[in-house]
Amino acid sequence: MADWNERTVAVFSWIFPFVAAGAGILAYPSAKSDPLALIVGVTALVIGSLIGVATSNSGNRFTTGLAVAAAMPLVLVAPGGGVDLAGTIVVYGVGLAVVWAMRLSRGESHADLLPTMVRRFAGYVTYAVVYSSMRVGVFESFEGGWEDLLPFAVALTAWLAVEVLMRALFILGPRELSRTYLARALLHDLNVFMGLTLTGALFGELFTALEWWALPIALLPYSFAHSAFARFQETKVTYKQTIRALARIPEVSGLGVNGHADRTTEIASSIAKEMGLGPVQVEHIEFAGLMHDIGRVSLNEPQILKMGYTPDDIARWSAEIIAEAPYLDRVAGDVRNQYEPFRRPGEESDPDVSMISRIIKVAAAYDWQVYSDGRSPLQALEHLHAGTAYEFDPAVVTSLRRILTARGVIGRTRDLVG
Amino acid sequence: MEKKLTRRYGGWFGHLRPTVRRRLRVAIPYALMGVIVLVATAFFSEPPNWNVWIPFAGLFMLLEFFAVEVNDRLLQSSSIMVIMTAGVIFAITPGSDAMFGMALMAAAGSITPTDIKERRWFQPLANFGQFALAGAVAGFFLDANLGHLPGATTESLPRVAVASAIAGLAYVTVQTLMIRRAVTIVFGNDNLEPWSKMGVLFGGQVTMALLGGMIGAAFLIAQRDAILVLIVGVYAIGHMSLYAFGQLRDSHIGSLRGFVKTLEAKDMYTRGHTERVAYFAQLIGEELGFTGTQLEEIRWAALIHDLGKLAVPTELIRKRGRLEDDEYEIMKEHAHLVEEILAEVDFLQPMVEIASGHHSHFDGNGYGGIGHVEGKAPSLEACIVAVADSFDAMTSARSYRMALSQQYALGELRRHSGGQFHPDVVDAFERALNKTGRRWGAPHVNDEEMARRLAEEPELTLRG
Repeated sequence: MADWNERTVAVFSWIFPFVAAGAGILAYPSAKSDPLALIVGVTALVIGSLIGVATSNSGNRFTTGLAVAAAMPLVLVAPGGGVDLAGTIVVYGVGLAVVWAMRLSRGESHADLLPTMVRRFAGYVTYAVVYSSMRVGVFESFEGGWEDLLPFAVALTAWLAVEVLMRALFILGPRELSRTYLARALLHDLNVFMGLTLTGALFGELFTALEWWALPIALLPYSFAHSAFARFQETKVTYKQTIRALARIPEVSGLGVNGHADRTTEIASSIAKEMGLGPVQVEHIEFAGLMHDIGRVSLNEPQILKMGYTPDDIARWSAEIIAEAPYLDRVAGDVRNQYEPFRRPGEESDPDVSMISRIIKVAAAYDWQVYSDGRSPLQALEHLHAGTAYEFDPAVVTSLRRILTARGVIGRTRDLVG
Repeated sequence: MEKKLTRRYGGWFGHLRPTVRRRLRVAIPYALMGVIVLVATAFFSEPPNWNVWIPFAGLFMLLEFFAVEVNDRLLQSSSIMVIMTAGVIFAITPGSDAMFGMALMAAAGSITPTDIKERRWFQPLANFGQFALAGAVAGFFLDANLGHLPGATTESLPRVAVASAIAGLAYVTVQTLMIRRAVTIVFGNDNLEPWSKMGVLFGGQVTMALLGGMIGAAFLIAQRDAILVLIVGVYAIGHMSLYAFGQLRDSHIGSLRGFVKTLEAKDMYTRGHTERVAYFAQLIGEELGFTGTQLEEIRWAALIHDLGKLAVPTELIRKRGRLEDDEYEIMKEHAHLVEEILAEVDFLQPMVEIASGHHSHFDGNGYGGIGHVEGKAPSLEACIVAVADSFDAMTSARSYRMALSQQYALGELRRHSGGQFHPDVVDAFERALNKTGRRWGAPHVNDEEMARRLAEEPELTLRG
């Protein structure tokens, strides 16, 4: 499924809103809720899906649409008790069709749009169906106790499972991210996801007793959570900017190749994502990549220039510098080993050389050859391949080749072979 | 009252170190007061519903433990919301009062595992007293405003909002006053700086209290335990993120600091320069009445002020005697380099502007980057960093000359005050330096010797 061509994706993408809206229209006659409530629900879902974005740690975007979707089955209660499942599906279907149209008009590509929308619809419906069947079937007789949470917890888990599965299985277009990475990234962002869906559930639970008072009371805790997410994100961005700026000191002083640290980091983090490393390790790779050559500032010293130095010295100086900085210090060891071969004769692989060091080694070598030695990407890659006996980890080099292929920098594999 | 206490404790604890004595002078009355408050409230008010009290107290202790350190733009610990929720529930429920429940809950939250682990005795004792009192006062206001309500309804929500805002204000006020008092006794007046920001926190804390009260009322109206779990869930997630944010922010400045430190450690003579300049700049800033974000900005600016110099060849920095014209030009570049290096860090831009102006003079001479306009005085912040930088440059040894004495360095600053340096800043620096009582630089020999040393460095601040 990996490489769908663009036209097929566009066709399916255009089919999506009609299917979603169709499901809504078909369900409408059996909906028991007030039509006004349905209209409010659709509006809330649309507005929520377009604004109030909380960007998470690993770059996933979450909208308050999640909260609205989580609130729907709880708010739309049929007059005779139980969840108005048909009404909920009307809101989800029509709402997502409108969201699709608006996001398309904002210029999003079909390759992004289709998987997101399908994932959302599947997730929402799973959640609503699981919740309502538990609420109506098993837990009908329970009222007002802790047990109320059980259907919600089960439904939320089912929703999360669908999200993770869809993220892992449903990727369109040439792929630079591994499925494992996408799924792990979502789990890493569980706090944002939970913050939003719990808020929705809170609103739904409060709505039955408090009606519209429920809105401010449910939103205030969320606004606190949201501002915490935002501040964390803001600081993270600033932090990365600072580290990037500091990484440029050798380059500004004319002691390094311009842009080497930036490009190495970009390639290295792509490799990590392609290989399915987790978001935390990807972050470490970013820091290690930016800082891997910071030791070059020492090349300012007259004595050092007189005595001469090796790449390993630079790795040592770099590691010494970052070992002093909190948070960065955790990659000091990886930076220290960046020139080590991944194995030596007679051993399977050197356990002291971490995957981070291996990736940095390959990415830095590739960048060096392309931008400093003036080789073509293909020549550089061939050179790396030739070094896979001891120097470069073959798994990392293969991953680099897949990325370069996906980006169109080098031809497809069969062109290489044939 | 205070005099009497001093004399008595002075007699009892005369053999103890003065710091311990001063701490005892706070810890004993505070702890006693806490006990009295608890006993009195237990007598005069109804006990809370313990089934509700226990989970709330647990959560309260947890949030107190994970309290987030703040600057003036941020909420502090969110525990006030939890105690207010519990308080409103106790106050409105017939047959129970808020006073004792809240005082006891607050007192329980005063002990944290960190205190136990580090064997601290002063903080938990002092906190015990001030928390218990704050809880009791807040509970008193809740009881007075809500105690007579027969039960919670949507109509009573506005009343609950007002009552919990008042109680929250009382809670925060009592805490702030008591902490300030304790800090004044133990550390003296000069150390109130971290608590001076608390005033700005009031708004955030009162909002949290109001929110907590509303949640308590909502819980009573809906009569569903599930709601409480959901609220706690949303809340805990937010708090966790805020906690992570606090740690990340600390490592942000820590990284830059550690970085600058190791980079400058390569040169024996400039080792510690940045840290000292940051310290002096902060002294001046405080003396001139800067607080909170502004003060933080000056500190950051001082930390980055010499970053550009890392890109200047080391031999030039260490060169003895006068620099050639072309070397001087390269040296001047470092003010621009700091801009170039940090150009993409949006957050640091105000600080970069200050830092790049640290070689421009009050009368409009000198050089610098965006912070320097020919013929115009640089910003006050830049003048502060300039004075701090020059003072440290003079009072520490360089490869090309020995250190000057503090007395002589101050004299130099005064002599150039109004020309190179901002007169107000120089005055403030002298005052602040006298207050600390510490001396910097070499012992003073005589003015001629110092002048001879200075003559080895013709451009006074050029090399900073």
